[in-house]
Amino acid sequence: MNLIGDSLSPMDAEGASEILARLRDVLRDSAVEEHDWDAVVGETPIESLGFDSLTILDVLYDVEEEFGIALDPKQVVKTRTVGEIIALLEQNGA
Amino acid sequence: MLHFLEYWAARLALLGVDLLPPAAASRWAAVLGSLWWTADRPRRRVAISNILRAGVAGDRRQARAIGRGAARHMGMVLVESMKSSLVLDDPERLRVDIPDDVAAALEDPDRGLIVVSGHFGNWEIAGQWLSRYKPVAGISRPMNNPRVQELALSRRQRRGFRMIPKYDADPGRFLKLLGEGEILALLVDQHARRGIDVPFFGHLARTHTTAAMLHLVARTPLTFLLCRRTAPMTFELRLSPLIAQQRSGDRNADVEAILMTLNAHLEAAIRRDPDQYLWGHRRWR
Repeated sequence: MNLIGDSLSPMDAEGASEILARLRDVLRDSAVEEHDWDAVVGETPIESLGFDSLTILDVLYDVEEEFGIALDPKQVVKTRTVGEIIALLEQNGA
Repeated sequence: MLHFLEYWAARLALLGVDLLPPAAASRWAAVLGSLWWTADRPRRRVAISNILRAGVAGDRRQARAIGRGAARHMGMVLVESMKSSLVLDDPERLRVDIPDDVAAALEDPDRGLIVVSGHFGNWEIAGQWLSRYKPVAGISRPMNNPRVQELALSRRQRRGFRMIPKYDADPGRFLKLLGEGEILALLVDQHARRGIDVPFFGHLARTHTTAAMLHLVARTPLTFLLCRRTAPMTFELRLSPLIAQQRSGDRNADVEAILMTLNAHLEAAIRRDPDQYLWGHRRWR
């Protein structure tokens, strides 16, 4: 089961896994719908978690607070999967 | 039947607008607004109920007077919007008060700005005035009467002002235009199907969060704007100093604080001129 792609080194994969765990918590707290959050992986579409173009702004706020970083909102609203958010977080030093 | 009557009332209003000088056209539209108040019983009941609930009228008789005045006002808004160049090109007809921090944001071509208002005074004139600085995008809910909507759109002057239909409003689009230094103009006093409950005249009203969230996540400056009529075809346009909400880590608290500030600005204006507000919308549901 991949988080964000096939080419991660073990260390990268460990980092991504930790980010995924924290991201799951954020998504769980931000969500307006019930979901099996333990089943969320990199390939999971954000839309399938009940987030749409409006509520993604809520997620963005909560993610920034959790990871203590500022993301480019224009990039965040373009993300389609959880893995893409993770990649964005990694690019920004999470 | 009501749509048919509204459409012909609008056509009649436009005929008067075209034939009469501006001040007379404005009075003509006010008379038609008053007639509309008499004819549209359901909306009249909503307006009276809202005025009483807001506490801006002491009794039902006073509420009716305010409601009729507001209906006259809406007729005038329609005419003024179509004759806006007379106002926009004449400093005697449009007195503007801009705080320095807002002026700096308006004059910086690379800096986006979120401008919030309500259905108070003449928000159309305000939007058109803003577009003198940089392109403005506003979100509109289509009118209930599609024939009147079509008629109004065919007559409005737009300059650098464009409307985004409410059902096509995508934050990605907003972020893009704000990133390009444009203005996003939002009216925040309509019932939001999805939003948060914020006090409006002391009663919780479901309120759109988009303006607040965009300010918080895009870190775009935010201001409140009012365009109050002081005489026929004459206005006072005021912008609040930039509203800067520091992030606390509690998203809902931050959004609520911003929306309460915006509502407080709008409430103060309405209390001063209750007959310049659109009362016929079911704000509290």
